[in-house]
Amino acid sequence: MKRHSSRVPAILAALAFALPAAADVNVCVWGTITGPDAGVNGMSYGTVDYLNYLNQTQGGIAGQKIHVILLDGRYKLDEELKIYRRCVDQENAVVVKGWSTGSAKALREQVQQDAVPFISETFSSEVLDPAKYPYLFIQGATYEQQMLIGLRAAKAAGAKKVMLMHGDVEYGRAPVTVVRKSGAIEKMGLELVDTIEFRYDAQDLTAQLLRVKAKNPDVVYIQASTPQALVILRDAAKVGLPAKLFIGNMYNIHPSIPEQLGAAAEGFRAIQLYANYGDDVPAMKEIAAYKAKNQVEKEDLYFMKGWFGGKFIAAAIGNAIKKSGGKPPADIKAFRKAVRDEMVALKNLDSGGIAPPCSFANHQGPTQARMAEIKGGKYVAVGSWVDAQ
Amino acid sequence: MLLLQIATAGIATGSVYALIAIGIVLIYKCSGVVNFGQGGYAMLGAYAAYALARAGLSPPLAAAGAVLVLGVVGALTELLVLRRMLRAPVVAVMMVTLGLLILFRAVCLAVWGPDQIAFPQIFPQGAVQIAGIFITYNYVAAALLSLVLSLAFLAFYRFTPMGLMQRAAADNSRAALAVGIHVSNQVSVAWAVSSALAGLGGVLLATLNGLSLTLSNIGLVAFPVIVLGGLTSLMGSLVAGLLLGMLEAFTDGLLTPALESFLRAHTSIYSVGALQQVVPYMLVGGMLLVRPQGIFGQRGTERV
Amino acid sequence: MPARRRLALLAVVVLAAAGSFALGRFGAYLVHSVAIAAIAAMGLNLLTGFAGQISFASGALIGIGAYTAGNLGNAGWGLGAILAAGVAAAVASVVIGLPALRLRGLYYAIATLAAQFVLEYLFKIVEPLTKGISGMNIAPLVLLGRPVASDQAWAAISIAILALTWLGLARLMRTNVGRAFLVVRENELVAKGMGIDVVRVKLWAFLASGFVIGVSGALVGFTTRLASPEGFGLSLSIDQVAMLIVGGQGVWAGSLLGAGFVVLIPEAIQRLGEALHVANLLSAMREMSFGLLIVLFLLFEPRGLAALLRRLARGVSRIALPHPVPDSSPVVAARTPAPGGTREKAL
Repeated sequence: MKRHSSRVPAILAALAFALPAAADVNVCVWGTITGPDAGVNGMSYGTVDYLNYLNQTQGGIAGQKIHVILLDGRYKLDEELKIYRRCVDQENAVVVKGWSTGSAKALREQVQQDAVPFISETFSSEVLDPAKYPYLFIQGATYEQQMLIGLRAAKAAGAKKVMLMHGDVEYGRAPVTVVRKSGAIEKMGLELVDTIEFRYDAQDLTAQLLRVKAKNPDVVYIQASTPQALVILRDAAKVGLPAKLFIGNMYNIHPSIPEQLGAAAEGFRAIQLYANYGDDVPAMKEIAAYKAKNQVEKEDLYFMKGWFGGKFIAAAIGNAIKKSGGKPPADIKAFRKAVRDEMVALKNLDSGGIAPPCSFANHQGPTQARMAEIKGGKYVAVGSWVDAQ
Repeated sequence: MLLLQIATAGIATGSVYALIAIGIVLIYKCSGVVNFGQGGYAMLGAYAAYALARAGLSPPLAAAGAVLVLGVVGALTELLVLRRMLRAPVVAVMMVTLGLLILFRAVCLAVWGPDQIAFPQIFPQGAVQIAGIFITYNYVAAALLSLVLSLAFLAFYRFTPMGLMQRAAADNSRAALAVGIHVSNQVSVAWAVSSALAGLGGVLLATLNGLSLTLSNIGLVAFPVIVLGGLTSLMGSLVAGLLLGMLEAFTDGLLTPALESFLRAHTSIYSVGALQQVVPYMLVGGMLLVRPQGIFGQRGTERV
Repeated sequence: MPARRRLALLAVVVLAAAGSFALGRFGAYLVHSVAIAAIAAMGLNLLTGFAGQISFASGALIGIGAYTAGNLGNAGWGLGAILAAGVAAAVASVVIGLPALRLRGLYYAIATLAAQFVLEYLFKIVEPLTKGISGMNIAPLVLLGRPVASDQAWAAISIAILALTWLGLARLMRTNVGRAFLVVRENELVAKGMGIDVVRVKLWAFLASGFVIGVSGALVGFTTRLASPEGFGLSLSIDQVAMLIVGGQGVWAGSLLGAGFVVLIPEAIQRLGEALHVANLLSAMREMSFGLLIVLFLLFEPRGLAALLRRLARGVSRIALPHPVPDSSPVVAARTPAPGGTREKAL
């Protein structure tokens, strides 16, 4: 491409002035390549890899090459806001796939003004409002729905007393507060005996787990990520609480948990929204074919979510191009609107078995989840897909 | 019973704080530099041990090797960076250590990536039951090693000629020079020892929590320790480290639940959040107003 | 400042502000990012470079500005919200500064570090004022009956406020209080001997610096549209101090240069990486370069970019002109300031 041959002064000039539009169909993705949550960046790699897979095997989408750009938001709000502007303003992206909950919240009104289809990796219910934010999409059950699915499973197993543990970050406190205030736990016939907030980079939670032990709950739901789940389970073992007492959200399916904790992790359950990497699903064959020729950065569940996101984007873009007569609309604004309309119109999106077939009229796609349990050092799906509704 | 359990948990974490804090104090005593980057050296030590273990060394040997490597890194830091800044303002020196912290994190990120890594087992698996808590051998070993090393350092400074030279260099560098002590060499030694200690602390932490870039946060977590203990007192770091560990555990185990149940009953506030995180710094604020030299520190010239 | 220079400066500002409307959105975003960071860096510069007190709490003060402006802006205040943000941060700055009346150098730095952590915690807890961890959504500022939402408009406004801040601070330094800052920075005993009320002078420094940082925080809030505790952490404070070091302490232009450098260098490295097809490799380089820059500047050019550029300009002019030109920059401090004294004093 032309601008790649330019040198530093040209690059610096490009910082200040918009680049000319490229002829390709542009998709802009940002993730966290360097930053605190880089461990789950499979979510952005997966999407980029799937679109490149289409470029390599089918010449793109509906005959159009996709120009996909991956950027590093570093999980810093100002960086993400800057990247968003680059995607919309300079890269002329027809679809933007963003990352953090914070950026989705900060951008939710601008996304409407720009009328650009915007998919976020967040599961926050606060950006999910098809009437208010018609251009904003998430991909899967919200944190609140995941929590209720987990608690419902516990209730079915005879639990009565519930405790919640969450980190002192947005994604820890907000969903827990929503669920607590909604009274959904009580409606289920469960009693919420206590909620514990802990620091997100906690290195030791023994005292908190003593507090859990004192309240003697039947189930503890964890709203945090893998490093925190590791600390919780390790210190639970210290105070004599079994791992099967705990249920985590979709970010707690990570090989490092059984690897590092061994027997202390046996029986821990987590919510699973997407098939595991390596599961016997059709999409895995595509990934294997892609991997034969390319490097796959992260072979995990989050990569599967990313691959799923790629399929969602590709399906909508494909439909939009077909409807406009096999060529993308010349006007980027019309193209963006067409893609957004096709996203909402998607019915029974086939994700190659990564998630159950779903539609995106609800702006969140699949609302099903199932439980995965650590058995013999591996996550094993227990039970079938349950719908959050 | 609960009190005993909480105290046990607190001592285990507090002993690691002490180890990191002693390293910071060592450098400060000798050269007047506060190393904000101590957590970076701890992180570097843990990654070095991991790399050596991956290269085929047995885990305990890898840990020992990492401690040596960090000693060299510390001495190099002093020779290449700090020695050039002898006349620089305090702020600049503080910032340079922060810059090194950022640099170290970026290097580890580039080499080992951002993911959490399972750390090789150094201590045998298993646990002892103390006061109804199952303390894994990892914790027992980390706590014992920290305590023994801290005490060894106290003894070293009090009873050996090298320790005497170090103290002289720290006390009055001009007088030390006058009696023939090579002060800048003493400072290099202090940096080497301090970094080696930090490296060991990092290795111990990684055996407890696994290995990732967040390990470098320990420097700022342990920072209140040196203020509470007194910037110039090794004994103070040891005591304050243990106290701070216990304080955090008691905040988590007793204060926070009590406060929250009161607030939930009487106000619309539901949670006080991670109170444990700020209690040490609130204490620091208070301490600075009342007794800036810390519990054990000597009254310096810093107060106006 | 002579009238001709003042006019020239005014022209530059007006041109820059008008020019920002010709930029794309991305470019405008970079412009207001730099301008807003530079305003806060000037506030910190006043405290550190001119009054000799280092602070690691500017991240939290920016937060106080953003929350205040957010609350009041959402309640329908216009420009008043920005001023109120300055006032709120000024008050906080004085409260944080109170220990500095007794402490100096290192100990004061630690006190500001403690303040940074405590304030960050309060942002998370005081939900009625901050909306807690979820963060506060901030509506566009309403100016002259119209909501200001475009990056170009914010670039122009930020440039204007930056110019006002610069002029205001430069003017402050020419008052008796301003001159007293410098004396206090150099030697408090001498200041006392000259009959300067050291306590009062220090309080003034905290007040003025807090006000400026708070104004910058208000702009952060209105351009980000979301104020959340994670955005006002220690790393923001460190960025601010880094701007001061890279740019140069005790020189107003240094704050602008430092802010430009710290904000733009990561983007420049990113684009360079893309141009050379090594973007992933350079991702870690951005962090590394940040750390390395701080270390290298402190080692080899402790007076920052401002001094470096001036030396360069002098070198060029010596070659181009037969006679040496007098140094005409409005620099107040000619030599490196030593906030909190040197290390020898700290011992």
